Amino acid sequence: MVILGGCANRPQWPDQTSSAVSPIASSRSSDLDLDQRLILEQVPFYAQEKYQCGPASLAMMLNAQGLTTEPDQLKDLVYLPGREGSLQVELVAAGRSHGMVVYELDGSLQSLLTEVAAGHPVMVMQNLRFNWWPQWHFAVVTGFDREKRNIILHTGTRELHEEAVEVFMATWNRTENWAVVMLPPGQLPATAEPIDYLMAVNDLETTGHWDTASEAYRTAERAWPDQPAAILGQGNIAWQAGDWAEATRHYLRLTSEFPDLAAGWHNLAQSLARQGCESPARNAAECAFSLKPDRFSLEMPAISSGVSAECPSVDCPDTERP
Amino acid sequence: MQTIRNNLRFTAFFMAVLMSLATIWTSPAVANVVGTGELLSEQRVELDRASLLNMLEQQEVKDKLADMGVSQADVEKRIQNLTPAELSAFEQQLAEAPVGQNSVVGIIVLFLLVFVVTDILCATNIYPFINCIR
Repeated sequence: MVILGGCANRPQWPDQTSSAVSPIASSRSSDLDLDQRLILEQVPFYAQEKYQCGPASLAMMLNAQGLTTEPDQLKDLVYLPGREGSLQVELVAAGRSHGMVVYELDGSLQSLLTEVAAGHPVMVMQNLRFNWWPQWHFAVVTGFDREKRNIILHTGTRELHEEAVEVFMATWNRTENWAVVMLPPGQLPATAEPIDYLMAVNDLETTGHWDTASEAYRTAERAWPDQPAAILGQGNIAWQAGDWAEATRHYLRLTSEFPDLAAGWHNLAQSLARQGCESPARNAAECAFSLKPDRFSLEMPAISSGVSAECPSVDCPDTERP
Repeated sequence: MQTIRNNLRFTAFFMAVLMSLATIWTSPAVANVVGTGELLSEQRVELDRASLLNMLEQQEVKDKLADMGVSQADVEKRIQNLTPAELSAFEQQLAEAPVGQNSVVGIIVLFLLVFVVTDILCATNIYPFINCIR
């Protein structure tokens, strides 16, 4: 496919905060105004040392969330001396290991400005030179000025540098508009989409940051009660921690909220079996099987013996199967 | 030469160990239970499928389908049968397309052409007027 990238198109300044953002986020951001000059004062500035825009940008992102860390401390985590630079994935991983949910934006200027207007600094990747001779660069967007059509960044050795939106878009487009926010698990990004956010939280779960992930799943559950993965995730974390009773508690919530979700019944059967609750476990396994016979079998998980637990009663939903 | 060979042997051994470890690590971290990631990727696929079906509701697309003599029901059936990989390829093309009604119609038509090719290859039988080559 032929790529006709950004030829002389004057970038449009977004009119208002996105109407496409999720209802929760938009209700929160309804008072956000992109028609102004705005600077996030709480983002500290670290001038980068040679080639070390990665550690410096990461430090600014983390400090903005109240963490005390410095580029020097982060250097070992994200700086590759041989490459004289940092990798995106390592910056993301480092954000996670500091207890942050790292959420990648959809790449539109609208979303970028919406996050900034909501008070969230945004880490962006730019290519300051050309596609065939790249100069990769990380910076933190800390504000914007609609009147002057400027994006305001902490970049390199320049604090609150004002960059024309044309220049910013040209350099940002060359990295396929890579942009992330890093937020503590109790806060949702302003442009968060349910599945994308939950996938970001799942990355925390699979990398073993269970406390952060659990809290973020709870945040997601409050924001989007229609998302089963938010509850499943809490149960799965308890399961991985070997806390069968806690896992059962979440899986029971899941099956009562989402009785048609076979995975919920299957996981409930597993945790009940670990608790030694044979008969309810069997019922739950049958529910999973009847909902999704091609995925789950009636084969019972091994029942743990000698575990004393109060066993809940489990009944399949009255589903009218076609 | 011999040293290179020895080194290679060591590298090969190292890679073998690494790959077997990687296989163990990537197998579901939560044995026995359905992982959160599995549910999420299923949901993502359904979301993509729904957005694709929504596009069929556009009048331009309906007209184009009628022009090509394809019934909407056939296309819907085909979309239901798309694999996750095919769906995400389609979403990718949509995301890269310039904004505008025409381009969306264009991509859907392009997508229908894929059906023609798969029909010719006997992989599908969507258009009755296309005979598959054996």
